[in-house]
Amino acid sequence: MVKFLKIIPIAVKTGTVTIKYPYQEPLVTDSFRGAIEIDPNKCVGCGACTRICPPKALTLTTESNTMILRYFVGRCIFCGMCADTCPEKAIKITKEFELATGNIYDLYSDVEHEVKTCSICGKTFTSKKLSNKIASKVPDIPTETMDLCPDCRRKETLKKFIGVPEQ
Amino acid sequence: MSQSTIKESSSKSIDLKKALSRIKRSIWVFHINTGSCNGCDIEILDVLTPYFDVERFGIKLVVSPRHADLALLTGPVTIKTFSKVYRALSAMPRPRFVLAIGSCAVGGNIWFESYSTMGGFPKVLEMFSEMGLEIDGVVYVPGCPARPEAIIYGAATLLGLQKPKTVYRRFKA
Repeated sequence: MVKFLKIIPIAVKTGTVTIKYPYQEPLVTDSFRGAIEIDPNKCVGCGACTRICPPKALTLTTESNTMILRYFVGRCIFCGMCADTCPEKAIKITKEFELATGNIYDLYSDVEHEVKTCSICGKTFTSKKLSNKIASKVPDIPTETMDLCPDCRRKETLKKFIGVPEQ
Repeated sequence: MSQSTIKESSSKSIDLKKALSRIKRSIWVFHINTGSCNGCDIEILDVLTPYFDVERFGIKLVVSPRHADLALLTGPVTIKTFSKVYRALSAMPRPRFVLAIGSCAVGGNIWFESYSTMGGFPKVLEMFSEMGLEIDGVVYVPGCPARPEAIIYGAATLLGLQKPKTVYRRFKA
């Protein structure tokens, strides 16, 4: 009985330690990494982030005439490698962690890109933004092969050197 | 992400409210580890300690699924644990809720296409509905591991104390 009473002065000295979290600001340090945010104005749709992402939370898919960069927070491990890799610095790490929701579709966010189609075979191959970016950065780019997909471009270049095969 | 799926999900949230109104007392939770790395389990333990003290909301850990209203599910649900998860969840009385904690339970994490896992709780939920096991409400808590605050936020979302912040967004570049 007497031994038990020893705890009372200790408890009085310490006071209440319980945090009032939902009704109080959470403790978030500077080094904390939360969900990422993609800036749609800066993003060119190169897909560097989708290749580095360990759990493939970022995916690049083509839906008819649009290319979609899809971010699924539910699979994200908050490593921040996408932000390091992004050549346009379009990905920003936020401190957002209150992501709980009852609907799984709320955890997705999409960035739509306009897609370029090959002028010979009609295949979609890259986003318009990325193509324009490359055209503006590389000084003497051959303009006649810019509208071709990689396969057709290879064939056209070969035709230039070898000539059209006789049938 | 068609219109029908969004409509379906909105009708589901109405069902969640109806089911929640049937719970009149404190929510008792049961903890299921389905092949998790123990990161999320440590965070759940943290939530139950006096520092975060989730008993403020009347949430209490129980040892049997028969006493529980809510299952705290962690891990990507491996093939081996699938039958055990089914048995544990079917032992819970209606209305039964699930709090899928961590990115493993929500989306399968780096194991989402592995041969030995089911790849997250949403895929398991589809199989359960085919098998005839009804679950009244699921709240997904992303995070690797989910912070104790995030778990409290998820529990508060389930209890209707807070509205979920995240919504589906689509931008044009």
